[in-house]
Amino acid sequence: MSDIVRNEAVNAAGVVSEGAPAPRVAAARRRRPHYLLAISVLSVVIVLGLWYLSTERGWVSPVFLPKPGRVLSEAAANLASGQLLTDIWMSTQRVLLGFLLAGAVAVPLGIIMAVWAPAKAAFDPFVSLLRPLPSITWIPLTMLWLGIGESQKIAIVFMGSWIYILLYTIESTKRVDPLLIRAARNLGAGDLDVMLHVILPGALPGIIAGLKVTLAISWSCVLSAEMIAAQNGLGALIWQGKDWGNLALVLVGMLCISVVVLLADKLAEMLERALLPWERHQRS
Amino acid sequence: MTGASLPILAACNVTKAYTTGKDHALVAVENLSLDIHEGEFVCLLGASGCGKSTILNMFAGFTQPTAGEVLLRGKPIRGIEPRCGMIFQSYALFPWKTVRANVEFGLKMKGLARSERRARAAAFIEMVNLAGFEEHYPAELSGGMQQRVTIARLLAADPEVLLMDEPFAALDAMTRQVMQEELLNIHERSRKTIVFITHSIDEALILSSRLFVMSARPGRVKAIIANTLPTPRHISVQVSPEYGALKSQVWNLIESEVRRHGAQAAD
Repeated sequence: MSDIVRNEAVNAAGVVSEGAPAPRVAAARRRRPHYLLAISVLSVVIVLGLWYLSTERGWVSPVFLPKPGRVLSEAAANLASGQLLTDIWMSTQRVLLGFLLAGAVAVPLGIIMAVWAPAKAAFDPFVSLLRPLPSITWIPLTMLWLGIGESQKIAIVFMGSWIYILLYTIESTKRVDPLLIRAARNLGAGDLDVMLHVILPGALPGIIAGLKVTLAISWSCVLSAEMIAAQNGLGALIWQGKDWGNLALVLVGMLCISVVVLLADKLAEMLERALLPWERHQRS
Repeated sequence: MTGASLPILAACNVTKAYTTGKDHALVAVENLSLDIHEGEFVCLLGASGCGKSTILNMFAGFTQPTAGEVLLRGKPIRGIEPRCGMIFQSYALFPWKTVRANVEFGLKMKGLARSERRARAAAFIEMVNLAGFEEHYPAELSGGMQQRVTIARLLAADPEVLLMDEPFAALDAMTRQVMQEELLNIHERSRKTIVFITHSIDEALILSSRLFVMSARPGRVKAIIANTLPTPRHISVQVSPEYGALKSQVWNLIESEVRRHGAQAAD
């Protein structure tokens, strides 16, 4: 046996090299260069500075844009009273319940539709009809059926989310490499084995990507539902601010949404990395 | 390996036609017959487009012949046949499974206990010189190493026949040579029947005990050549006069087919 086989070494990037360089190099997690980070910080500082200057100097009326200080004190007051945290928690809870319910229905259904043509034929007409409907168009019907309580908000999130999860699931299930399915069957795998060992793990990255996109959509659904009819939640908070002419409160609500959705995204990314350890080495 | 015994694999008057988009039938293989005996290392050699892969796919049961029959130990192959294990040119490793889990896959499908799987997989990983890489994912390995994982995976599943569809085509020349020697060693040790597709005369001569020269599309067996080069074989056989004679004999057979196929492609 040749030395080429024996002299395998692991280089810094974790890629094993032998005689020839590896065709795919593991994605080295490169940090952004410092000067680019500085530019991002600077650009935020400039915009905040302009906001501060234009409101302090009276270039812009506080009726249209409150001072940054007002927004901060509004946020502090709402935090102290506990109202803000309650609103954040209520919205988050509605999003999570509606989103999880949508995932629990749409992921299995999508997989079945992708692998079994009759199921696809049965559900396709409804998917086509329901897909163009924005979730707010479900508000009248859901209010009639469910009232204006929690279940109605959850239903709105569900109706706005499940179709996207379904479409992503179908798409990524269909894209599983048929060669891998062949290889599995050639190694003695039955239908259930192919499903568990090939189709599910093969579709998982696409399904998770779809869930991440849909989570942001679920948030926009809950906010529109809360603006129309809710006692609490970030949507209701923003709408109250508007009714009371309290623009600072509106901005506090908007800022909270951004932060919460960003955090949710980061959390989803961490979960993704934990669930898909092999993806780190894929595509560089 | 007497001619009288039942061939392990056989194709009897096999024709395979594909219907392409515009009702055109593309005849990949026409009226092809061949016998392969247990323990042989057979190379199917031919220009691209001579239906070599089609034959292999029929032996694996991935496709069925349009006419005629493919037989495994005298019985027709009707569905995907795990007794004829396939090595794909593009490896077809499961990217979400580690080297160990990939190699264990066939054993798991057979319902072996975990400890048993571990032990057997370890032996085959050792055999293809990948000990120490059990917990790596395929994407962390070079092409040559990935191909060795597929070989270990297939050997662990213990099929009766190894079907190899240009398995080393994607490798660089040096790695390919190492892999060829490895494969000869594996064949020596396991005495498995191997059907190996290649369009490299050198590869066919180094590896095979018998080689089938294929005609251009539609594919047929043009000549069967017993490879008389001494075994166990080493790369150095390439400088022997017998090798040169055999190579020019094969090339004479194949040259007209290559030109004919080139003319077809130009239509």
